[in-house]
Parts: sequence; structure tokens; C-alpha cells
Amino acid sequence: MNKKGAILGIIVISIIVGVVASMSSSTNETFDVDMTRTHGSISTAMGSPILGDPLAPVTIVEFGDYQCHQCHNWFVNTKPMIMRDYIETGKVNLVFVDFAFLGRDSPKAAQATYCADDQNKYWEYHSSLYTSQESKIDNGWASSERLKAFAFNLNLDMELFNECLDSEKYSKRVQYNSQQARDNGVRGTPGFFIVDSDYNQTQIGGAQPFSVFQKILDSMI
Amino acid sequence: MIEILKVIFSNLKFIVISVIIFLIMMFSLLLISEFIFLEPYFVTHIPSGSELGFILITALSGLSALVISMNLFRIINLKNSKHKMSGSIFGTFIGSAAGACSCGPIGFAVISTFGTVGATTTAFLTNYEIPIRIVAIVILIITYFTTIKSLKTECDIPN
Repeated sequence: MNKKGAILGIIVISIIVGVVASMSSSTNETFDVDMTRTHGSISTAMGSPILGDPLAPVTIVEFGDYQCHQCHNWFVNTKPMIMRDYIETGKVNLVFVDFAFLGRDSPKAAQATYCADDQNKYWEYHSSLYTSQESKIDNGWASSERLKAFAFNLNLDMELFNECLDSEKYSKRVQYNSQQARDNGVRGTPGFFIVDSDYNQTQIGGAQPFSVFQKILDSMI
Repeated sequence: MIEILKVIFSNLKFIVISVIIFLIMMFSLLLISEFIFLEPYFVTHIPSGSELGFILITALSGLSALVISMNLFRIINLKNSKHKMSGSIFGTFIGSAAGACSCGPIGFAVISTFGTVGATTTAFLTNYEIPIRIVAIVILIITYFTTIKSLKTECDIPN
């Protein structure tokens, strides 16, 4: 009887500990997002803020990893022309959704961007990661210390940023985004979906040149 | 050296073999290294900063085509050992693997299938892509010269 009581007690305590732990983890991860935001078949609710005019008729959804050198190639070679000709003119907007699969520092780097977003510096931080990217995966360029250094360089409130990054506040958000990539058939980074207001969408795989984007965007606008 | 190449490539069959190997290697490597895209349109481009990668792929494809067809000549015509063939296949294989595992579909498939081990392998092959390709080219050059030396003896061609 005593044995049974002890086992029952352990089970009850385990359940209570489990419930308390899950409650504390969910309170850790409350953040302000529009869960209804979708672009075509993709839920972009947990993705980046919209870059450009939110009412633009066409959206580019980019799936990327901060350690992916092809994403860096696209960021350097193609994105500036898309910014100039389509985003800054209000024809197109862009949403970045994390597909953090390349190395152990990839999810942490993605989480850091949302910690920067808490202080309204998402895109500045996003750009600083791609401009600071080093060619080697997991060599320490995106370690926690370096991620904090990037935040410091952008004059973010370091107490808030460090607390956010160290607590892994946005861990589930990044996982959700990576799952969106898998669910939508993305098989590598960068991967793009160009979605118009009628929910027609075209997929582009890889760091393709500006001419490809130009052709598709012009046909949709 | 020129005499040996003349002997081998006087046979149209070996010219065709080497051209096919070169085209298949070049196309495959350019595709997986994202210098060529097939969808949504066929497009080729060399992003700035990737020029060295393109040159190494061209060198690797050319050497593979040359060395593999020379060794096929040895095996088919002279019924010789396949030992040197393995050197050329090895050089070709590691040179190709270096660029395949990156953030593209092959890297993604390797990571999805093999988890942490796949991620470590992919990271290694991506981080050392250029040195690995250079090592592969060196292996192919060594195989080329040893094959020439063997053929000189086997075909009894004077220096």
C-alpha cells in the first residue's frame, strides 16, 4: 500500500511539475503578433515585420538562414535592386521567414532578430547579420556574444536584448517559421514565394538574379 | 606527352567520352552550386564574389574528363589495371561533394536525413569548399601525370 502511495505521489508531483513548467515556458513566449497574417499558402504571422508598403499588391516571402552564404549572395547582389525598383516605389513588400537549419548558431541568430524587433530594429539587425556574415558555418561569428555585440552596435537597450536572447523567448517562433518552410516545400535557402493580391504564387528556389524576379514581379503588378 | 594525347584522342570514341564527361560534370556542378537555375526560367549567372568557385568547377570538370577518358583508354585498349582509375574517380568525387552540400537542396536533404552528423558534414564541406576543390584538382593532376608516365611505358612511346 505504501509503495503504491509513493508511486502515485511521484506521478502526481511529476504532473504538477510538468504543468507548472509548461505554464512558465508559455508565459515566457508571449509576444504581440497578428496570428491571422498569411501570404498565399504561407502563414507569415511569426515572420518578420513587413518591409515596404503593407498595402502593396505583391509580396515576396523570403525563407532564409543567417548562416547561408547563398542568402548573403542574394542580400548583396539582388535585394538592393528589388528594394530600389519595387519596394521603395510601393509596388511590392517583403517578409522574411526564418528557415534556420544550417548549424547550431542559426536558430539563435534568428531569435536575436526578434529580440531586436522588440525594440523596433528588426530590419537593421537583419541587415547587420547578413553584412557581418562570415563564410564558415558555426565558426563563432553568430555566437551569443557576437549577436549581443551586433545589438550593442545598433544602440539597442542591452538589458532587454540580453534577457530576451538568453531566455530564448523566440525559440518557438523560429521553430514555427522553419516548419512553415517545410510545410510549403522549401528545400534549401534562400527560397522565395511571390504572392499577389489574388493569392497566385510563384516559387523561386535559390539566390536567383534580379532578372528572374523582375520578370515575375512585372507580370504580377 | 602530346604524343600520348594524340594516340588516345585520335580515336573518336575517346573524344566523345571526354566531351560527355565534361558536359555532365560541368552542368551538374554549376546546377548544384547555383550558377545555373532551371526554374521558373532557365538562367545562368555568376554572382560577384563567386568567380573563383566557377573557375575551380571548370578546371575540375576539364581534368576529370581528361583523366577519366585516359584511364578508360588504358583499361579498354591495354587491358591494364584499374588502379589509376580509382584516383581519378576519387578526385572527381571529393571535388564534386565540396560544392554540393551547402544551403541548397542537397545540403538540406543531407541534414534532414542524417541530423546532427549531416549538419556537421555539410558545415565542413561548405566551410572548406574551395580548399577541398583545390585538393581534388591536385589529385587529378597527379593522376594525370602518373597515367601519362604509365602510358609512355605501356605504349612504348619514346620521349
